Amino acid sequence: MSTAVRLDATSLDRFLRVLADAREVFAPVAATDGRVEFARVRGGEGVDSSRMLTGLSPKGLFFPEAEVLFRYDRGGILPVESPGGPIAVWGMRGCDARGLALLDRVFGSAFQKPGDERFEDPYWKSRYDRATIFGTVCPAPLSTCFCNWFGGSPSSTAGIDVQATDLGEAWLLSPVTAKGAELLMTVDDLLSPATARDVEASREIALRAQSALPPPPSLEGLEDLLTGVFHEPAWEGIAAPCVQCGACTFSCPTCHCFDIQDEDRNGRGRRIRAWDSCMFGIFTREASGHNPRALSTQRVRQRVMHKYSYFPGNYGEMLCTGCGRCVSVCPVGFDIRNVLLELVSGAEGEGR
Amino acid sequence: MTIGSELRDTARRLLSEGTVELVIGWRRGSRPTAAVPAFVTDPEEAGSLVFDGTCGTNPAVYFTRDRRQYSGRKVGVAVKGCDARAVLQLVMENQVVRDDVVLIGVACPGVLDRRRVALAACGREILELEDRGAEVMLRGAGFETVVRREDVLSDSCRGCPHPDPGSVDLLLGTPRREAASGEERERRVREFEALPPAGRWEATLREYGKCIRCYACRNVCPACYCETCFVDQNDPRWIGGTCEPTDTLIFHLIRNLHVAGRCVECGACARACPTGVDLLLLHRKVAVEVLERFREEAGMDAGARPIMASFREDERQEFIMG
Repeated sequence: MSTAVRLDATSLDRFLRVLADAREVFAPVAATDGRVEFARVRGGEGVDSSRMLTGLSPKGLFFPEAEVLFRYDRGGILPVESPGGPIAVWGMRGCDARGLALLDRVFGSAFQKPGDERFEDPYWKSRYDRATIFGTVCPAPLSTCFCNWFGGSPSSTAGIDVQATDLGEAWLLSPVTAKGAELLMTVDDLLSPATARDVEASREIALRAQSALPPPPSLEGLEDLLTGVFHEPAWEGIAAPCVQCGACTFSCPTCHCFDIQDEDRNGRGRRIRAWDSCMFGIFTREASGHNPRALSTQRVRQRVMHKYSYFPGNYGEMLCTGCGRCVSVCPVGFDIRNVLLELVSGAEGEGR
Repeated sequence: MTIGSELRDTARRLLSEGTVELVIGWRRGSRPTAAVPAFVTDPEEAGSLVFDGTCGTNPAVYFTRDRRQYSGRKVGVAVKGCDARAVLQLVMENQVVRDDVVLIGVACPGVLDRRRVALAACGREILELEDRGAEVMLRGAGFETVVRREDVLSDSCRGCPHPDPGSVDLLLGTPRREAASGEERERRVREFEALPPAGRWEATLREYGKCIRCYACRNVCPACYCETCFVDQNDPRWIGGTCEPTDTLIFHLIRNLHVAGRCVECGACARACPTGVDLLLLHRKVAVEVLERFREEAGMDAGARPIMASFREDERQEFIMG
């Protein structure tokens, strides 16, 4: 890959403008109420690259809260046109970019299980495959951050096309993929070669952030350990405070369960795909009325099992990038890190 | 003696005497800006209980969230003014047996809004919060700042007419506030009402446009306990699954009217919302309306009939009579 380049901080606005001339650009934008969320931008105005995390993860850019899959009438199916042009996302943290890469295992072409007939989701692919993702190295992790539990780091490059480091007066942009390098070539009049000092400064920022994270606990064999504690009564206490809302799963960069509904009026209508959550009772309620996960305990357990046991079994990685959003948004302070630690230490105590 | 230590002593005593099997209160969680619900069954663990402005969850919600846990058990529950009203409202609605519950009232200084607290720290992460009463100290990596409580108070607590829990079995702390006049409480409702229709519509779309349908508001609400909520029915389906205004507004407006005369304006919904929808405004609007029409407020008297389930001949009926 080509070498790192430098973008003056004062040129970020121009840079994003130029990108936005030819594509949809998304970046973290600050609202008046203090929230920062990914939103469409035309330039640098309102862009806040300094916030550690946006409120919601950027998964909604590629897998929206609700989307129309197609419309129909008595004549047949009326496909929804995808805009089709390129997309760029500025200011994504490593945990979020990894989250998208994990979702690509589910919806896209990133993962092929031997012997499986691969289904690729055209809606996901029509957006994700068009996107060039600028990742931002985290300068100082939050107390809720735990990316290093599952192989991530403040300077992780998984799912990132160009890695950006905020050096204060400038951004160091390091292409990670060919796609990223090609995009940088199209704006090279705004860029200058990076100095050895820039590269060194960037490395220092990444190292400092890395050492600011507490060392990860030993979670070796977590996948199997969880299978072993499935029937433990400990889940009752773990689930007790949970009120069964979807704040955790909806803000999560990797949760991807959805519901499909048809909205029909006199033979005309549309098919919708919308986020769903394993925390909701209706999620598993069957047509007969029977619900295999009728109890909150079962649903909380499902969320943990899916992330750290079933998904690794199916896709080879944990379905969690340690962004910590579920910890910070939970209205009752449910902390999934403590749940894992409690289950691990409980299992160790019993000599499993 | 702080309310927190009184609460710990009380819980310890109630549990060791066997008066209750369980005490629901709050303890410190992972985040310094929000204490988390605590379920204490062992007197030895009563020491983990706390009370201060970070105790924003309304513990009354647990009585109806998981009925298996609470029916037939003697439960002590720490309650702020609004929490006590929520429990009493549930008693009134035959959801909680008053004699099964020991209401441990805590004189409430008003709870903090974690978004305002975060704004006061200018986006820096708060690692430590100390509620000093009139002031709140926030500390993080390389900063320490003291802010006025007033500036970081939840909307629900501004002009709260009933900060001190009433009809409780025990009251900890000194009731210290005069009931606020209705004025401050109604100010934002009146401001909203004063907008032209287009302005009200725009503000409504802006707020509810943030909704992602996670139902945190509904699920932390003690008044929301329908066995099957209308949004969770799919045969027939009453509401679409999108985040378009037709769908989000139907959810919020129906919920709003369904808790009319039952909502105690605790603001737990607004604090729980992950995207910061101003949920309190419409609940308040309805509460103000109910107060004007019926001269009653939710959860004030466990012996009374629910406001919306009773009828008096002298009620205003202009919607029928013109």
